[in-house]
Amino acid sequence: MDLTFYIAATIALFATIMVVINTNPVHALLYLVLSLLSVATVFFTLGAHFAAALEVIVYAGAIMVLFVFVVMMLNLGAKTEDQERRWLSAPAMVLPAALSAVLLWQLGTQLWPRGYITAAGLQEVTPKMVGIALYGPYLLAVELASMLLLAGLVAAYHLGRHDD
Amino acid sequence: MNHAMTTQQLTALLPLILATLTTVVVMLTIAFKRQHRLVAAMTVIGLNLALLSLGPVLLAANGEPIELTPLLIVDGYAIFYMGLLLVTALGVLTLCHAYFEGYAGNREELYLLLAMATLGALVMACSRHFASFFIGLELLSIPLYAMVAYPVRDSRALEGGMKYLVLSGAASAFMLFGIALLYAETGALGFAEIAAKLSAGRPGILLAGAAMILSGVAFKLSAVPFHLWTSDVYEAAPAPVSAFLATVSKAAMFVVVYRLFVNIGLFRHPLALDALTWVAVASMVVGNLLALRQDNVKRILAYSSIAQFGYLLVALVASGGRATEAAGIFLLTYIVTALGVFGVMTLVSSPMKDRDVEHIEQLRGLFWKRPYLSSIMTTMLLSLAGIPLTAGFVGKFYLISVGVDTRQWLLMGAVVAGSAIGLYYYLRVMIMMFQPIPVRERVSEPLNWVQQSGGAMLMAAMALVLVLGVYPEPFLQLIRSATLALR
Repeated sequence: MDLTFYIAATIALFATIMVVINTNPVHALLYLVLSLLSVATVFFTLGAHFAAALEVIVYAGAIMVLFVFVVMMLNLGAKTEDQERRWLSAPAMVLPAALSAVLLWQLGTQLWPRGYITAAGLQEVTPKMVGIALYGPYLLAVELASMLLLAGLVAAYHLGRHDD
Repeated sequence: MNHAMTTQQLTALLPLILATLTTVVVMLTIAFKRQHRLVAAMTVIGLNLALLSLGPVLLAANGEPIELTPLLIVDGYAIFYMGLLLVTALGVLTLCHAYFEGYAGNREELYLLLAMATLGALVMACSRHFASFFIGLELLSIPLYAMVAYPVRDSRALEGGMKYLVLSGAASAFMLFGIALLYAETGALGFAEIAAKLSAGRPGILLAGAAMILSGVAFKLSAVPFHLWTSDVYEAAPAPVSAFLATVSKAAMFVVVYRLFVNIGLFRHPLALDALTWVAVASMVVGNLLALRQDNVKRILAYSSIAQFGYLLVALVASGGRATEAAGIFLLTYIVTALGVFGVMTLVSSPMKDRDVEHIEQLRGLFWKRPYLSSIMTTMLLSLAGIPLTAGFVGKFYLISVGVDTRQWLLMGAVVAGSAIGLYYYLRVMIMMFQPIPVRERVSEPLNWVQQSGGAMLMAAMALVLVLGVYPEPFLQLIRSATLALR
């Protein structure tokens, strides 16, 4: 379990550095997806399964895919198709794919014999515990977070409008 | 554990509930009917109701703090500052109406954003937990990004908004990292819980966490060396938004940080206090020096606000005891004065044009055209400089007396030096307004601004500055009784 943590943490560090130093936006985003996946693995090893699943679904799944789409759609046209093909060439994808495979292999070896993982952290945090915390002591935080989302929405709406 | 709310707790939540309700109602109003005056009026009514609801809260509290879940606490301190923040936000609202009449695009969203930012400030005033602290801070900051860049077609405003967004995001990240370090060592997020478990943590990591939190805080208070954004953003933002940045945004941050300092002993560690002392000294000296050679009045005011918060940090270094009172009186006088100064700058530029009136030459001879506004500006500038018989003097007097009591000689030296330098550029703006201009240009501009809410607000602010300067006793009593909880 310790080894899993260290390997995942190393991949996270490496991938994040690649995000920062990469000059190609699409390649940087690929590494960002990888970085988020490895952070999810770190959460998993700490016993926060729910947070790990959310990290994969929300960040790596929804937000990053949206980023990649937006970056690619911003410059539409025949000329840019070549560019996109060059962006997603096989050599650029080798390293992120290989490192993702390492993460998958880690997950597999952990799950293989028993079908569950014991946490390296102090205790496992189940979805039920998260729910009870959010709607118990942190109820007001949840309500305020909804206002925060509304604020972001209104701000984005106002700044994004250009037809007035 | 039972988390059901009692009537008393729901009453204590009233200001927050009413501010939230204002946001929702204003949003629905915009959806049905876009009308500037109507939306502005709805917002003013909503925030006024929130202000009035502080009465029932006071009755329900009856002198005792009301705890609302582990996140919030409504005590005298929180009630006093919620009132101050709401009144300030209402003052900014009155300025917005006159100013944004001149804006061609959608004017209504501004009120929505302002109401949400005010809600964030209220949350910060009563938070006693890092989760509510951080959510309140973000709820204050995110609407501000859009408010700074509100005239979206103006590239200067967009640039200012972008600068604020990126730098403020970085500051929030720093703060979050610091909070995570404290949590890793103590396993708690509540201020009191962290204070109770401090001895279990490793001091090195705890101090690193405290340092990261303080750097995030210093960014929001625009203390040197985290001040680089201030002058650019204040200059780029519409004048009433600059007023909001200089008053509500900074005050809310100071209020919650003061509670943090009083509650958690870690922030009173000698190293943390040394760092804070140097930040304060640097803010006073650098802020005042940078303002000297500025010709842009908005930038002068930005640098002056850096210096003013340098003075206020004296109370934070001394935290506890009489410093609570001194911080309260200084914050009150600063807010009234800053609102007045930015208010005059707003009304001079209203209704909004391509560029605000901001170059010092544009103020030349203002007295011969708009004598009342110039008089208000003069009073406010004198108050910022700390001249006796104005509010600024009383605030500074209290800070210096606290500093002398706690033997902060370095800070006291910086306060004196800073005030001396500050006098130069405050007087420079003042003299410019009284410069003679050719007689044919000496037309008095229409006086209708006095009847407008912005003008009335400025008159009230000037009266308050003078009353505070001449007879501060009632206000001192109020602050003394309100801040008993944090002495």
